[in-house]
Amino acid sequence: MLGRVATERPFLLLPPLHRVPLRVGNVVELVGPSASAKTHILIQAAVNCILPKEWNGVHYGGLERLVMFIDLDCRFDILRLSEILKHQITEPNGSMYYDEELYALCMRRFLYVRCYDSLEFLATLKTLHYRLQKEKEVHHVGIQLLMIDSIGPFHWVDRGSTFFPLGGNKRKCLSLQSVFDAVVQDIKKLLLVHPMLVMATKEIILGNAYGGDEVKQNKSLLDASGLRNLASNTQQLPYREYMPSVWQSFVTHKILVRASDDHMPIRHYEEHSVYLSEWLLPSISFRDKFTVKDAGIVIVT
Amino acid sequence: MAPLKALEAEYPILDPNFQAFCASHGIFSVEDFLIHDLYELAAFAEQQPTSEKLKQGITQVLSIIDTQHQPWLNGLELLDDALHNKHVLSTGREGIDLLLGGGLREGQLTEIVGPSSCGKTQVCLLAASNVATKQMGNVVYLDTGNSFSPQRIAQFVGHIAGCAFDEAGKRIFQRIMNSIVCHSVFDIFTMFNVLHRLVINFPSQLQKGGQVRLLIVDSISSLITPILGNSGSQGRALMISAGYMLKKLAHEHNVAVLVTNHTVGGERGIPKPGPWTDLEEHPTCEASTFW
Repeated sequence: MLGRVATERPFLLLPPLHRVPLRVGNVVELVGPSASAKTHILIQAAVNCILPKEWNGVHYGGLERLVMFIDLDCRFDILRLSEILKHQITEPNGSMYYDEELYALCMRRFLYVRCYDSLEFLATLKTLHYRLQKEKEVHHVGIQLLMIDSIGPFHWVDRGSTFFPLGGNKRKCLSLQSVFDAVVQDIKKLLLVHPMLVMATKEIILGNAYGGDEVKQNKSLLDASGLRNLASNTQQLPYREYMPSVWQSFVTHKILVRASDDHMPIRHYEEHSVYLSEWLLPSISFRDKFTVKDAGIVIVT
Repeated sequence: MAPLKALEAEYPILDPNFQAFCASHGIFSVEDFLIHDLYELAAFAEQQPTSEKLKQGITQVLSIIDTQHQPWLNGLELLDDALHNKHVLSTGREGIDLLLGGGLREGQLTEIVGPSSCGKTQVCLLAASNVATKQMGNVVYLDTGNSFSPQRIAQFVGHIAGCAFDEAGKRIFQRIMNSIVCHSVFDIFTMFNVLHRLVINFPSQLQKGGQVRLLIVDSISSLITPILGNSGSQGRALMISAGYMLKKLAHEHNVAVLVTNHTVGGERGIPKPGPWTDLEEHPTCEASTFW
């Protein structure tokens, strides 16, 4: 019983996710327009997860568990993850020397797969349970983070490819709704057997929120697949929600990140973009500012 | 994905009894398995007299499904692939290489955005010439607006290679020019066709010794804009499928992909990239040309 409490105890992630304690079983959605450092936040969380708590007497403060990264966006850059990991390893040592063995051990704990369409994504999720069991035997540690970058890119493809089911009316057809029903169902089943935190990024277009004619606009956008849930529209979101309601109700936490108009000058000809992050669910009105440096994400006060 | 009937020959455990059981739950192919609850199916199988065989059948289908997605890689394997297989190709102009962090990277899609007549095609022609001359790889150029100019390519190649006018020089020049293949495509379906054929021909190309290193689409916006309407998801679905096909080609076959896009009037009169960037969000690097 105590063992279970220990694994399910809430933990704090690195900034900018540090304001809300998260526990395994939570589903965090990182929403933001393009180029708003969402993947960077995932990389930062992944590095923190694969690092050990302690190694050779040096304290790293990591979670020492596996990370599974499902790349639906297909733009992931492993070199960036490698760079941040190397920074995290050399920093406590204070020297340029980094432990090759530790680096290899951590990199092996990061597992990655690409999906080019929703069928591949579904196939990955269906076989994830067996994959996790195999990896647990190899690494002797379980998984802590499941990352999906990003959820919803096949949204239009699935929406446009609903077809008639041949062979009887019991047959489910492959549509946006059935795909996401299956996705949520599979992840829920996985969470029962492998307690982990799910983090998904979502690309949105800011400023597409409904204006004054809310009711009229909503009516025109309602279609047979039921993508809009009027009841849940009481919360004013600064963007248009396009995911099916089955996914929307599965998400337990939401954070919005975007690039701000400020730039932080470090040298007089070079600037870093400053990003804003804001928790939407649970709704915290405080906004964090952060910037991305070579070593990772740094909060700006 | 294959219907269960077709898999019976290869996997005898998927016999007619198994197929009948699946059909009673509306499952006729491997695809249907993906959107069904397999634990629930196994529970139903428990109640059947032939439960053991049925459950073995389900396990067999799961192992077939395991071959239907890309393989899992760990961080070290990914890094190895990135360092050894994904080279950086210079565009031929230092300024652009600097903006791109070294040049066009294999496995990634680079987009050049700019208003019309700002020199996007010139950058594409230069990159094609440079890759063909220096990196000794083939270039596939998809031209949507009849802007491909063999004369300009010849000029660039002559300048970069510094070919002499003797027999050997002429042969080298001929070989370089032959390694750039231009296809005229005027609609997105032709582009799909060309890309499909390219993927099919990859293994045989490798044997002949000429591997495609760079794929240029000039311009992708003229293929996408006609199919995008206001409502209806078909156009957007096609656009996203095109994007994923290019990404897959880039990553699986170690090809650098370069596309050009035009700018549209954005909010407050500030020009922004065309709809391809907005809804697709595929590009890793954007270089606005201010020539």
